[in-house]
Amino acid sequence: MKFATTRAGLIRAGVFFLVLLVIPIVGGPGYLLNTLIFTIMYAALSSSWNLIGGYAGYPSLGHVAFFGIGAYATGIIFSDSVYGGYAPFFLLPVIGLGVAFMSIPIGWVSMRTRADVFAIVTITLLFITQTLAFNLKNVTGGAQGKSVAPAPFDVGTYDWPFYYAMLILLAIAMGISLYFRRSKIGLSLATVRADEDKAHGVGVRVTAVKLIAFAVSAGLVAMVGGVWAYYVGFIYPQFAVDPLITIGMVLMAFLGGRGTLWGPVLGAFILVPAQEYFAQAFGASELYLIAYAAVFLVIMLFLPRGILPSITERLARRRASAAGAARDGASPTPSALPTSEVKVVR
Amino acid sequence: MHSLIQAIILGILTGGVYALMASGQTLIFGIMKVVNLAQGALVVLGAYLTYTLFTQLGIDPFLSILITTPLLFLVGVGVQYVLLRPLHGDDVAQLSLLVTFAIALGVEGVLSFAYGSTLTNVQPAYANFSWTILGYQVSLVRFVAFLLSLVMLGLLYLILQRTKFGRSVRATVQNPMSAQLLGVNANRVSALGFGLGAATAAAAGSVFGMLNSFNPGSHYDLISRLLTIVVLGGLGSIGGSVVAALVMGVASSVVSALASPIWSDFTFFIVLLLVLLIRPRGLFGARTRGAL
Amino acid sequence: MQLHIHGPRSRRVRLLASVSALALGALTLAGCSAASPTASSSGPLKIGISLSLTGDFSDSGKAAQRGYDLWASVTNKAGGVLGRQVKLSIVDDASSPDQVVTNYTNLITQDKVDLVFGPYSSLLTVPASRVASRYHYAFIEPAGGGPSVFAQKLTNLFFVQPAPTTKGGDVFANYILSLPANKRPKTAGYAKLDDPFSAPIAASIQKRFEAAGIKTVYDQTYPAETADMTPIMSGMSAANPDVVVGGSQEADAFAQIKGMIQLKFNPKWLFESNGANSPGDFPAAVGANTEGVFSSADWYADSTIAGSSKFISDYVAKYGGDAQKIDPTSAEAYSAGMLLDQVAKKTGKIDNATIIKTLHSGTWPTLVGNLSWDQYGAPKGAYLLIQWINGKLTTVYPSATAQHAPVAPKPHWAG
Repeated sequence: MKFATTRAGLIRAGVFFLVLLVIPIVGGPGYLLNTLIFTIMYAALSSSWNLIGGYAGYPSLGHVAFFGIGAYATGIIFSDSVYGGYAPFFLLPVIGLGVAFMSIPIGWVSMRTRADVFAIVTITLLFITQTLAFNLKNVTGGAQGKSVAPAPFDVGTYDWPFYYAMLILLAIAMGISLYFRRSKIGLSLATVRADEDKAHGVGVRVTAVKLIAFAVSAGLVAMVGGVWAYYVGFIYPQFAVDPLITIGMVLMAFLGGRGTLWGPVLGAFILVPAQEYFAQAFGASELYLIAYAAVFLVIMLFLPRGILPSITERLARRRASAAGAARDGASPTPSALPTSEVKVVR
Repeated sequence: MHSLIQAIILGILTGGVYALMASGQTLIFGIMKVVNLAQGALVVLGAYLTYTLFTQLGIDPFLSILITTPLLFLVGVGVQYVLLRPLHGDDVAQLSLLVTFAIALGVEGVLSFAYGSTLTNVQPAYANFSWTILGYQVSLVRFVAFLLSLVMLGLLYLILQRTKFGRSVRATVQNPMSAQLLGVNANRVSALGFGLGAATAAAAGSVFGMLNSFNPGSHYDLISRLLTIVVLGGLGSIGGSVVAALVMGVASSVVSALASPIWSDFTFFIVLLLVLLIRPRGLFGARTRGAL
Repeated sequence: MQLHIHGPRSRRVRLLASVSALALGALTLAGCSAASPTASSSGPLKIGISLSLTGDFSDSGKAAQRGYDLWASVTNKAGGVLGRQVKLSIVDDASSPDQVVTNYTNLITQDKVDLVFGPYSSLLTVPASRVASRYHYAFIEPAGGGPSVFAQKLTNLFFVQPAPTTKGGDVFANYILSLPANKRPKTAGYAKLDDPFSAPIAASIQKRFEAAGIKTVYDQTYPAETADMTPIMSGMSAANPDVVVGGSQEADAFAQIKGMIQLKFNPKWLFESNGANSPGDFPAAVGANTEGVFSSADWYADSTIAGSSKFISDYVAKYGGDAQKIDPTSAEAYSAGMLLDQVAKKTGKIDNATIIKTLHSGTWPTLVGNLSWDQYGAPKGAYLLIQWINGKLTTVYPSATAQHAPVAPKPHWAG
């Protein structure tokens, strides 16, 4: 399972990021940037979740705990002043590393259990973090929330720093994804996902690779949380540690195709704008929730592996006369990915 | 001392109702290896059905169980048949987890549409009645609810021990492969099992509606509680879930009374994590390969 | 398990799944325009509002919507604001802070609304007000009165209630401390809901009581999702305080009272900061046990404030139903509109700078009392103390506006 960085893949990534890079400059400020910030945020979150949930097959439902810790770290450190405005961004790597290290013992305990129980244990993590955020009033401000000092950016380009910060985090998350796929870690994770006992048997250092994936994933999510806190400006426990953020990460990865490089990104670029569009277009109706559940069910029943793997598989089947190398639809080679998703998004 | 004993009494009575809900959930897991995230929503659905039967037709909430239980049994069978059975592939466990979550959302949506989002509860004439026994307060509704949960759990036990269906269930829980070889129809057992799980939710829901205020979103609280109970008890173990529910009820109530309610659930989570550290499969969980 | 999905909670709809084609369509559309806000000064007066119309608190969000809509239709029938018809753009934020930021940014930069009003959920007021402030929009908001709102020190913000939320119970403290020393309670117990708008109300009363020598014998804070109030109430009844103060929202206030009834514990005074001030829901939840319970309010159906009866008849004409069922949130939202009318009438202009400048001085009559604000938008008035007397909410303090003298000690529970 060696993946070559194909030229098509590079061009695809290049075009994708180039387009996103120039949007603020050509598109100007306003709601487009605002929507894109949240879209890219979810793409980054979902890509980070994918490292442990997709590649390793450990569906964490508690990742938002790390998001919240990152958010609170930013909120607590910068509650009085943001030192010129850019300091919260420069501190992100420290927060990321800190949370990554902190997550190792947590990952070790929770990954003693497997898939289903793991999911439940990580939910527990979510509640513990939320309870602490509520109850450690001296540190977090409790239910009163914690405010981040307002950013001194110019109104016209106010969103730019947040936008580029999110974009960089997405690039890092995707870069790590790519690295995972092409390195020995990826191979080990794939073995773990397929059959953990067997992986042990063939000498994969199961615990180590799982923990690496978990910690990297947690650290990335925390950094995204840090940017989010600064952007929104005010953190409450129930928003910073919101189960729906977890659900979002998971759902987007499932929709686009978990265990793939572009799947989580595609999922985010479909779901986030769609949700905002509907909020604008239809206003209120509880029918919403029913429609949501219905779409959800349709995905699970008819596209159980996500959009990208399903398309890839279909393409692969069409080319089946050729050597059947790309049959492993769960981890399609970059070259087998359709180029369309990038263009469609733009 | 007085408040400690009062808290323990309360905790046991409350825990009994959770035991009923959790037994259904763990049964579903035992049979199908599906973590049913819709169990809480089904409880809330049961509560709303009871509410409607009570306010519209004047049917006593305890008696309404005779109507809601069979109704939700059918719903459960239907859900398994239409939504869970078609799932296939190597990620069935994860997919079904998400499917049951979608079901929970759907139920919530329908209930919000029908009833709005204001908290409500079922308020029969005797709702606030309580006895004073040796200086301790025992509320009538709570006590009857506890008894009723015991009766339902007893019925469930009889069904599992004494009927042909029960034998098939037990065989499936122990080893799905060999159960099938022995002629157990896995689909039938799964459908009936899911129905039975939903039925316990209905019965618990009727009682829940009298003990608590609820709205369509209440299922989030319920499910998080239920999940920790069934994991602590050991997924698939009904006895374990009953013990865990009582432990949870008592622990929450005692911590609430003696320390502070803001730490009550937290304590329980910590207990859960500690137990998992020593016994990853929970208190009474069997070591089922692949599931745990 | 405090599954706090939102302060109050809600917003599962956030990730509204949907057909991808539509979504991409929306994004493409979005690509076409980009602008800085420029509001026109003729044509209809466009007012943008984001409300929590879905989720657990949608009932209150919709109540706010009814208030806003009613004001707009009444105003338009009377010829509009300075001759301009009012046009409301109301969007749903599903109670998400991300969505509320997005919504107000969109309303201001894309829809180019002339003015904005505040969202429903109080937690969302902070992020929303920051957006409004960034674009120098006046932020008249009827539902965000927590300390965090005013701690931002925004000068464009005006909270349309008589006092900051945390001072909601001070009128009860005023009443108790107005009693002669030998008739005052000696001991007090507090049950506080841990959210930004409830616990602080009780804490504020507690501070005043303790300073006056009323001993605290029980003090407990509980998380928002506590469904079962019996353990707390058994602790309360064991401590047996003369006065019980609940810093509460609706459901937990009802549960507290049910717990007390079950434990046969009847304090001499009982104050619930919320819940007990709901003329419909409270009796529905506790039956005949309402008698003698205190709460505070800004507007309620039997309120004698000027304009209230016209508001009620307009409301019933538009939406039907019963005056007692009108949510105070509707009156608060309506009052936000009344402020605009008055600014327009006084200055002959209706732009954001004028509104901000004008509201900072003078006193402004609304359905929720005569309002005036400090520089950061905190109102300087006080709520009314109300009590259930003969099955009806009755203003009992301050004496100037009282319809009846306060009844104490509280009658026994009906059972």
